[in-house]
Amino acid sequence: MEGSLKLWSIILLVGALNYASRLSFIAIFARRSIPPLVARALRFVPAAMLTALIVPMVVMPAGAIEPAGPRVLAALVASAVAFRTRSTLATLAAGMLALWVAGALLPWAPAA
Amino acid sequence: MRGSGAPALPLRRKYPVLRLRRLSSSPDFRAGFVGMLPACIGLIPFGLVCGVGAQAAGTGALAAFGLSTIIFSGAAQILALQLFAAGAPLAIVVLTCFVLGLRLLMYSAAMAPHLASLAPRWQRGLAFVLTDQAFAAAIRRFNATHDPREGARYFAGCGAALWITWQATNLAGYFAGNLIPPAWSLDFAVPLCFIALVAPLMRSVPNMTAAAVAGVAVLAFAGLPMKLSLVVAGLLGIVSGTLAELGMERWKAR
Repeated sequence: MEGSLKLWSIILLVGALNYASRLSFIAIFARRSIPPLVARALRFVPAAMLTALIVPMVVMPAGAIEPAGPRVLAALVASAVAFRTRSTLATLAAGMLALWVAGALLPWAPAA
Repeated sequence: MRGSGAPALPLRRKYPVLRLRRLSSSPDFRAGFVGMLPACIGLIPFGLVCGVGAQAAGTGALAAFGLSTIIFSGAAQILALQLFAAGAPLAIVVLTCFVLGLRLLMYSAAMAPHLASLAPRWQRGLAFVLTDQAFAAAIRRFNATHDPREGARYFAGCGAALWITWQATNLAGYFAGNLIPPAWSLDFAVPLCFIALVAPLMRSVPNMTAAAVAGVAVLAFAGLPMKLSLVVAGLLGIVSGTLAELGMERWKAR
């Protein structure tokens, strides 16, 4: 598929499904309530899906697993800050700073 | 005019813009708009990061604007861009983003009773701005008031503030993206934004289980074709979190 056609298909289909999910119980199946087991499972979507997104970006930035690279150390620092402060800005600042420091100090891997 | 006795269509009915102007001047709408501003400030870095991501993926300005206006969900935009850049097939991109968007079902179900008495056009409009931040603020207002229309106007104000912030920051990120030197490794801001969302959840054992299983699984299945590892790991994490919580409840009940 041609690049921009595929990208627009993604935008429209993901957008439509997102909107359908938002509208689901408000309008589409307004007369039904959510089954308890489904409601329980949905609460774990953010922890599971976001972690699945984060880990490859941190552990294998160049395609190979790099268990002690600067990104792993910086992510640990950022996680501790996020856990304590719940602030995006503080997490970003701590994480980027840790990455730059680790990249400059660690002899075995450049930050980029 | 069909019959001479037919009442003239009210102007607001005829021109929806006038309806929006009346809505945007209502105190509830303004309270929602202002109440959302702190959350909007917190959203600025994430919006910039999403814009930079679109620029880095080479989408073009129009598609970048399409991502932020039509999908209107930072995590889904980043995920879609990543899978697109990795050359994953359309069906896998859509499926993976759908699993990420499942949490919206939960918001929709929680919001439904508050919106049940409203006109369909209100339901359809408010559903469009149903996001993590607007949900949290609006549900508090609905629980505090007895008038669903007041809550709906507040919700609309929240949604408008978020929507404007999101488009402005995404566009700014897109156009500023190529000004930032690559040596700064600003691509790392993407996982950092997600860490800011996930790390505070790690106060409950089931959430920790879901994250740990998903994190290990995404590496274990990294060899799967078409970036299927993400959706497989996500589903395994969701099931593990659910089982952990059920197991803990059973253990406590004994």
